[in-house]
Amino acid sequence: MKFFKRMQELDRRWIYIIIALAIVVPLMIPFDSDNLTTPSTENLYQMIDSFSGREDRAILMSFAHDASTMPELFPMEVAILRHCFERNIKVFTFSNSPLGAPIIDYAINTVKDEYPQIESGVHYCNFGYKPNMFAIVIGMGDNIATTMNVDAEGRKVETLPIMRGITNYTEMNLVVEFSGSVAGGTWIVYARPKFGLNVAVGVTAVMAADQYPYLQSGQLIGMLSGLKGAAEYEKLVDVFATNEQSFSSEKLSDPRIRDLIKITTQSVASFTQTEFTAFLNRYPQQKDLIEKYREEKDGIIQINWSQIPPQHTEQLGFFVMDELQRKANHIKYSFKTARVGMNAQSVAHIVMIVFIILGNLGYFVQKLSDKK
Amino acid sequence: MKKTIPMMIVMIGGLIWLFWAFSPHYIMQEDFLYKFYIPWSWAMIPPATILGIISLSMMHKAKIQRRAHKWQYSFFFFAGFITITLAGFLGGTQKGGLYMWMFENMQMPMSATMFALLAFYMASAAYKAFRARSPEATVLLLAAIIVMLAQVPIGTRISKYLPDISQWILDVPNLASKRGIMLGVGLGSIATSLKILLGIERSYLGGGD
Repeated sequence: MKFFKRMQELDRRWIYIIIALAIVVPLMIPFDSDNLTTPSTENLYQMIDSFSGREDRAILMSFAHDASTMPELFPMEVAILRHCFERNIKVFTFSNSPLGAPIIDYAINTVKDEYPQIESGVHYCNFGYKPNMFAIVIGMGDNIATTMNVDAEGRKVETLPIMRGITNYTEMNLVVEFSGSVAGGTWIVYARPKFGLNVAVGVTAVMAADQYPYLQSGQLIGMLSGLKGAAEYEKLVDVFATNEQSFSSEKLSDPRIRDLIKITTQSVASFTQTEFTAFLNRYPQQKDLIEKYREEKDGIIQINWSQIPPQHTEQLGFFVMDELQRKANHIKYSFKTARVGMNAQSVAHIVMIVFIILGNLGYFVQKLSDKK
Repeated sequence: MKKTIPMMIVMIGGLIWLFWAFSPHYIMQEDFLYKFYIPWSWAMIPPATILGIISLSMMHKAKIQRRAHKWQYSFFFFAGFITITLAGFLGGTQKGGLYMWMFENMQMPMSATMFALLAFYMASAAYKAFRARSPEATVLLLAAIIVMLAQVPIGTRISKYLPDISQWILDVPNLASKRGIMLGVGLGSIATSLKILLGIERSYLGGGD
């Protein structure tokens, strides 16, 4: 009895400390876990993936949020940009809020660091901050280049190579809006009925419930909901996009995909003899250095990239190291932040449920003793 | 006269947009929208921005002059506004400049910290106030536990049925209540808009009538 009474009067500061530990410890010690994908994430992934390699298709990412909601929304933005860069999908970005403009730059820079071949104006175009949402939404239905006029770097949009084959929503047929509050409203009300634009949203978890009516009616073709949605999208990119495969629900239920989505450090790249020969032929200048780190086990050639010292990683260059890490199924930190965060969220949710149960137990025990 | 002219502007403006929404005629869809409205709305943005900056600066200046409640914080407005403006204009807004550095190292962590405080308040509220005091509160509590568990990887390990139950809660009871609220809000908005267009609702003009 005394225990429950004391628990009822527990100082808030203890709760804060426990929650802080429940979040910080899993962030510092990552472990592998699997986030089941939901249809709303899969639908969005498939729609974006269907634009792969097409000159006459593009997506628009609308950054309608500020820095406060970045922990939830930023991993989604990075995952979608990565998907587009992996699968050669044209992507446009813009923000209706001045606070969203630096987030676009930050997101593009984060992904571009790992894709040096990607060029601004060719593979992607950032329109930057553009005020007057209604005029933008309606104007792009007629002509994107004349509505946006110049991109964030001050170049005439109509002269950019990315605009080849892109005129209006007929080609740029999907918009994904990221928001910490109501998302997709203007697009659903004006662009979807008038121009047939497909609309999807990425929202914080607390706002997701508001979007379900639009999702069920088909006005939204997909939705990423909070950090979970971001983690699901990261997973789909790792399983399909980085392996140059199309989406398949059968593959998602295959237990072997667990090797592709491990978020702990994966350091051993394994090759068959033929794969290794092809790998060496791709990088003839670094052949000797690569050979230096090869090990053979049961006919399989292995290279532990984490054991290569910094001076040699520099000599091997970005592309060799990138291929080794891909072969090892190693996921770079910026591409798994949502999943690392989901681990922390797992522990935090469990702690909160324990708090709720303990609080209620204490409440009922005290109520019982008061009656007596 | 003081009220009639603004009311006429609102009524005419509202009716034009009503025609635009329901009439497919090219005068409304092409001439009005693309040749008149969009160019004019673009032209209005810079003066509106300047007006906003002047208004905000005047408000903070007055606050400092009057030594109003928490007037010291107004200095932070001027410091932040001047620093970020200069950083953007002089060094550019791209990676490598002061503007982006300030965004990455100051604005981003500070804003995210404020948002993250929510988790602590939620945990505290869950412990101190989330009680099964009535049958309705018990249903809410159970639904919250199921949805919270199903959201995270650990939950799906506890039971493979949890995600389906959680999805049902979101798709059926949540959706039904949300749709009801949205329909109510929608009907309310239409009624208020019609009252404004017909001149019945005039409280937006000020003066209390």
